[in-house]
Amino acid sequence: MLARRDPATQPEGVVAGYAQTAQRWPAEPLLRRPPTRSELSGPADLRRRLAPLRGDLAGQGAKRALGQLIHLRARVVDEDGAPLAGTLLEVWHCNAAGKYIHPNDTNDAPADPNFYGAARLVAGDGGLVELRTIKPGAYPVPETRGWWRPPHIHFSLWGRVWLSRLVTQMFFPGEPLNQTDYILNAIKDPAARSRSIARLMPTERGPANALVYEYQLVVRGRGATASLP
Amino acid sequence: MSSVKLIPTGEMTLGPFFPREFAQGANDLTLLDGRQAPGEVIEVSGRITQLDGRPLDNVVVEIWQADSRGRYDAPGFAGWGRAATDADGLYRFRTIKPGAVEGRLAHIDFLLLYSGLMRHLQTVMYFEPGADPVLDAVPAARRELLVAKKTATGWRFDIRLRGEGETPFFDD
Repeated sequence: MLARRDPATQPEGVVAGYAQTAQRWPAEPLLRRPPTRSELSGPADLRRRLAPLRGDLAGQGAKRALGQLIHLRARVVDEDGAPLAGTLLEVWHCNAAGKYIHPNDTNDAPADPNFYGAARLVAGDGGLVELRTIKPGAYPVPETRGWWRPPHIHFSLWGRVWLSRLVTQMFFPGEPLNQTDYILNAIKDPAARSRSIARLMPTERGPANALVYEYQLVVRGRGATASLP
Repeated sequence: MSSVKLIPTGEMTLGPFFPREFAQGANDLTLLDGRQAPGEVIEVSGRITQLDGRPLDNVVVEIWQADSRGRYDAPGFAGWGRAATDADGLYRFRTIKPGAVEGRLAHIDFLLLYSGLMRHLQTVMYFEPGADPVLDAVPAARRELLVAKKTATGWRFDIRLRGEGETPFFDD
């Protein structure tokens, strides 16, 4: 069985300063249900439904995206630290000027013709996912009193079972905007918050001309399989 | 190995800029690798609204279900799908009517991802009321909110995130 979510290490549903949460998070408390085969199973190979896409968002030469080149090494593990090789992971982020390729983005920042900010990757041995891309910019959130999102990268991934689904955001170390971001700070436990910030690694350990960031994604569940009740 | 105890990464909202190409193309579960899955083809659709009643555009809806014989991840049917709502708040799946899973009524698990949802929301759609350990965990007066309505074209399952007629959601 999976352990219940710890409210200290998970965000609250309604977040002060983030107006949409009060329209969308349920008013009634979430119900607890007994786990059955439905929640403790999941698609064995999601690649049959979602094809892997792109593995390099930075490009090369004349097609190189603007911005600081980064090399991201993310590891996907479960609560036992067991790697999830073969798991699918979706990544998306804005360009170096803070602009997304999305019709909803009304931010007055330039698009970059050499940057397409979305990839779907498969974790390799050791649960490792590597992505060559550029560091995303910060951007203002419309219709707020000066809320700026710090640079961040979105992740959507699947663990072994339905209840392991994880959608989250990764932040960068040393960014002053991390202190005031309503989304990052919706996680109350400082240690848990710090785990959502990537680590900058010694540059000599990475590919030339790229800053290397390491990150760990921990999905719910323990051991090779979740046990049925 | 078992001495290690890591804490699951904090969940955070999908945000408003989930790539459109990710949200599209996976809402027909009846075909897998070009082959028709066995069972009754049905359409499952519904409208997703927020507290003020406004329908929500581009909500990402993911489902997980058994095949027509009540088996998960059986050959010929993957059981997983994803759709996004349109400007009228409508999502639409084409799928196979699931069979009853051991100890459960026939049902489809739902997971919602959206801007303003700090964590994903989970709920369950049923085809008819009855005895079911998960439906029994819902207060009796709210159970009917999880039972889809039969329509001329399929099954209708509307979802209200918050407010009057709020859909029951599950923590796990």
